Amino acid sequence: MNRAPGARWIAFLFGLLLTANGSMRDGGAVAAGELISELQALRLVPEHPTLWGAKASQRFVVLGTFADGLERDVTAHAVLTLSDPTLATIDSGARVTVRADGACDLIAQVGGCKASTRVQFEGSSQTLPFSFARDIGQILTKRGCNTSDCHGSVKGQKGFKLSLNASYPQEDYKWIIEGGVYKVLTTEQSEPPKPRINKEQPEESLILQKPAGVVPHGGGKRLDVGSMDYRTILAWVQNGAPYGEDDGKAPIAIEGLKAFPPDVVLDPQGKHQLLVTALLSNGRNEDVTDQATYTSNNVEVAKVNGDGMVEAVSTGETAIVIRGVGRVASARVGVIAQPIPNYPASPGSRNFVDEHVFAKLRKFNIVPSGLSGDAEFLRRVCLDLTGTLPSPNRARAFLADPDPDKRDKLIEILLASPEYVDFWAYRFGDLFRVHFTARQDLRGTHQYKDWVRNRIALNKPYDQTARELIAVQGWGGTTQHYYRVTSLMTPQEIMAEQMRVFQGLRLECAQCHNHPFEAWSQDQFWGLAAFFGRMTPVNSYLILDLPSAVAGKTVNHPRTKAEVQPAFLDGTTVPESKLDDLRMTLARWMTSAENPYFARATVNRIWGYFFGRGIVEPVDDMRSTNPPTHPKLLDALARHFVERGFDIKDLIRTIVQSRAYQLSGEFNETNRKDLINCSRSLPRMLEAVVLMDAISVVTGVEEVFELDNFAGGGSTPPGTRAIDLIPDISPSNFMDVFGRPNRQALPEPVNDVTVGQALHMLAGSTYTEKISMEGGRVDRLVKSGANNREILEELFLAALCRLPTEYERTELDKILDKDPSRKENVEAVAWALISSREFAYNH
Amino acid sequence: MEKPRYARCNESDVTRREVLRVGSLSLLGISLGQYLQVSKALADNGLAGGPVKAQACILLWLEGGPSHMDTWDPKPNSAFKPISTNVDGIQISELFPRVARHMDKLAVIRSVRTEEDNHPQGTCYTLTGHRPGAALKFPSLGSIICKETGPRNELPQYVLVPQPCEHAFTSAFQDAFSANFIGGEYNPMVLPDPSQDDFRVADLTLPKSMSFEQIANRRTCLSVVDRFYREKENLAEFGLMDASSRQALAMLTSPGVKNAFDLSQETEKTKDAYGRDRVGQSVLLARRLVEGGCRFVTASGYRGAEWDTHGNNDKILRETLAPTLDRTLSVLLEDLKQRGLLETTLVVVMGEFGRTPDVNAAGGRDHYAKCWSLLLGGGGIRGGQVIGASDERAANVADRTVSIGDLFATIYKAFGIDYTKTYMSPVGRPVYIANSIGDEQGQPIQELV
Repeated sequence: MNRAPGARWIAFLFGLLLTANGSMRDGGAVAAGELISELQALRLVPEHPTLWGAKASQRFVVLGTFADGLERDVTAHAVLTLSDPTLATIDSGARVTVRADGACDLIAQVGGCKASTRVQFEGSSQTLPFSFARDIGQILTKRGCNTSDCHGSVKGQKGFKLSLNASYPQEDYKWIIEGGVYKVLTTEQSEPPKPRINKEQPEESLILQKPAGVVPHGGGKRLDVGSMDYRTILAWVQNGAPYGEDDGKAPIAIEGLKAFPPDVVLDPQGKHQLLVTALLSNGRNEDVTDQATYTSNNVEVAKVNGDGMVEAVSTGETAIVIRGVGRVASARVGVIAQPIPNYPASPGSRNFVDEHVFAKLRKFNIVPSGLSGDAEFLRRVCLDLTGTLPSPNRARAFLADPDPDKRDKLIEILLASPEYVDFWAYRFGDLFRVHFTARQDLRGTHQYKDWVRNRIALNKPYDQTARELIAVQGWGGTTQHYYRVTSLMTPQEIMAEQMRVFQGLRLECAQCHNHPFEAWSQDQFWGLAAFFGRMTPVNSYLILDLPSAVAGKTVNHPRTKAEVQPAFLDGTTVPESKLDDLRMTLARWMTSAENPYFARATVNRIWGYFFGRGIVEPVDDMRSTNPPTHPKLLDALARHFVERGFDIKDLIRTIVQSRAYQLSGEFNETNRKDLINCSRSLPRMLEAVVLMDAISVVTGVEEVFELDNFAGGGSTPPGTRAIDLIPDISPSNFMDVFGRPNRQALPEPVNDVTVGQALHMLAGSTYTEKISMEGGRVDRLVKSGANNREILEELFLAALCRLPTEYERTELDKILDKDPSRKENVEAVAWALISSREFAYNH
Repeated sequence: MEKPRYARCNESDVTRREVLRVGSLSLLGISLGQYLQVSKALADNGLAGGPVKAQACILLWLEGGPSHMDTWDPKPNSAFKPISTNVDGIQISELFPRVARHMDKLAVIRSVRTEEDNHPQGTCYTLTGHRPGAALKFPSLGSIICKETGPRNELPQYVLVPQPCEHAFTSAFQDAFSANFIGGEYNPMVLPDPSQDDFRVADLTLPKSMSFEQIANRRTCLSVVDRFYREKENLAEFGLMDASSRQALAMLTSPGVKNAFDLSQETEKTKDAYGRDRVGQSVLLARRLVEGGCRFVTASGYRGAEWDTHGNNDKILRETLAPTLDRTLSVLLEDLKQRGLLETTLVVVMGEFGRTPDVNAAGGRDHYAKCWSLLLGGGGIRGGQVIGASDERAANVADRTVSIGDLFATIYKAFGIDYTKTYMSPVGRPVYIANSIGDEQGQPIQELV
């Protein structure tokens, strides 16, 4: 159809026709007759599908590109026709169901726009052989039987257990056919099992009666008697309840799920149908949109119904988690405020980081803020790279420097500075848990600390560092990682920690049962734990993997009590020849360029240091139900990291050189609420040690830290900074109050502002005594007879890396000139500066 | 034994103040009769509304794990004899003659069973109901009580006096006393040893040279400096900072707060009665703090795991541990009673586990979690009772296992907290606040509360 002047009228007429036919969904994203006129192009998804099998069907979505740049789901307004209606039927859900073999076109029409795609129909008289895993499993998933708050929960429900999301169909089969009650710590049964099927009287099978409401069911009615799913299960029981592998061939399994679109962008009234495709092991694809379950991670942003229709609720971003038989997929959903008519042209990308960040912002109609001012950038990059504030003179020099390349040059200076090494040795000290042991081995602790520091100073490739740590043998400093501290470190605890640190995976939940949120099984967990099973006990001085003949102990599965063989996450077990070199074998697997987790976990964590949150957050919790905000960026960073030989410094440089990192913190209307897309710089509270050192620098008074009695008592040598300290050797009330990680476990983000901190700010010695101390900055300024301007400038530059504003100068002049004591007044200003939000935050 | 006064039976029980308060209800169309009915219904169910309810708790923490057959559950395999108490039929170890005279105020639970018998794990288990683990760091009993009941006044509500685990108050122990995922504001305030001459609460005392005018001056400067930033940002955290700041200032300037921590206001006689050592003064300060408005105070004067008698068990008990406990606990109970605080102050006396029925080669007893005892009193708990029983050697529970979840449920019920509640852990797992063995929900002990 051509775009005649009467197109708008005709479109409206079509709209009426559609309504009359009842094939229009209610409340579509686009109001009929309005925006349709601004429709510019149309396309059909999926393109060129092949439908195989007697029951094959495929749902389609018609996507329209509009003048405002947004692509919307206009299926509800489309007229769909098949060029050969003898081959298939179309229903009101844009679902094409096969009738006969052949190929034809599916044509969609909305207003003056048209799209078509070729659809192939094959095997229309054939069906896939029955498979319990696929055919029954999908009913159990779709009907919600195996969710984590019902029978899929850790212990099942009311004595009936299913695997979460039908992930373990063989176990499900057993629980249904034989019955039985799952116990966390044993396989013994305390009562006779109750089968869920009744082969003599199939209709009286519990697996039918319960969900149909014939007998009382805590989960309510899930199936209607006589419905398709009911009849499928009934037929299955009538046929003898087979598993479906009778002819010896492996059943055709679902290997993956893909969601379309992976990124949905909705306007405030937007709706979009999701399509879910199962990738089968025989190479075919199957539309499982109708068999999947859908959950929104945040219903305040977007909700989704049982058919997979996503609906915008309010501005924000979330993910829809899609569960199909044994698999999980997700789609990110962003609800934008208003499409922006004149989205400003991109100011240009410094590197690939910018390309990805700004592309997503464009897609979501969020305008990034402008570039940060020099003062803002100076403070931020100094704190992020070195944890140290620049002196007032260096700050002044940078601010006044006209060199257009001064930011890059500053970055290089900072990366080459000793403070960079101090700071990142501190950060990795937290991560690698450099701390004192209960066996009071000071020398060993310092050896370990030096090893960490050394890795940073020499910028050793991170994969090498990781291997050294995981597989360490002998007496050296690194072995000190395997402490016997007050929390006894068993093989499984060590493994779980290394998985978090180096693979970004939180497997701990799978210690006692199959993981509730991911497909990790308890067997996989223990297979990994077995790699640490031959280590010498962690309280010995010599750490090594004992040969199997000598080891004398094994890692045993807590339920079955059987010995566990070491196995990687993908299931491959370790060959006999490597069994004496277990941890090195694991370390190589964990850090290889082909390992899908190592690079991603590392770049994600490093990214998190600079942006306040990782691309996946929490940074060590990567799973399919917690998708990244920028999946392509994460992949690109990981690839870059591997290509550069796992070079940490280069990664850091790439990040801080990007424009995305250097954006201002000022918000505009479009990015005001954006907390996850790097559209502006967000304030992050200073870490306790950085805050401590910053206060020392501003007040000009070094802090003297205690040494615990174990370390000989007394104080630390002069010049020791907070970032040099090992927490349990140098306890500090201030730092406890401000949340310094004590390294007894992996660091957790500390975000609460507590009364304890406020008390300390008002009355604590750190704040009050250092300000007035003789020889400190305040004392020196007052004694030198400096005037108000000089005093204010020095204090502001020292604390905030900027000069005071007019307002600040005027108001603070009044305070400085008050009676009686100038020293007290200057102290008041200094106190205010170090107690201010601007000081305590990096922004 | 006193008749518990927690059920309203008729209108004559209503105090005048109640009537005055209730009087205003008529504006809302509720009559006095209706109010009393509802009130009684709520009180009977033990949920919000009961007039006699625990307001505060003192946990006398017997760090190290006290030997139960040598203390509250005398058995033939103890070197000590049982003595009678002021409650017929209840006997405790001869080491505690003074406590024996206060048996009517106390309930002994002799069938406690927990699952961890190492110090860090046991401490964590006994104070949170869970073993320590990376996957779950559950909030401590004191933190939960403070969160569920809300602050009584501007005093820090949860206090540890002094810092427990003297040898290493590392995370493994700290977490057992901490708020963990429910938020830092429910972390305890840790005080130094109050028996020391230089006892002073850091951060609660403004430097002597600071006048209120100086404080005002500083705060003016702060508002000037903050203005620039405030206009740029408006994080939720800043709201919290404001609130914390105000609360901190209130604490610093309130005479009530300073007084509560000021032991010099106690008479010499009182200090002597409690005992001039760390144990006595900590408990005295604890009493003072709950009197001043704290919600949960852990008196951990036995820090250094003093009850951990792996050697010379009998000698140490007889000469050092029992005399101090006998003295301090009995004085505390008497003191609370006299001040009218016993009905509203729960007293819990326990350690992280018990000790082995067999004596080892060094004449000591080792850790034992399968069966042990603890004491509960005050706060509406019906005293003068024994709950549960152990076998002839106190090695196994013979009757009525009481788990930590049951203990917690009892305590929560005494406070009027919904003990069936669950918290969502950070990984999204719902966990009972009264978590019993096998992750079941703990049940309150009906005879006690």
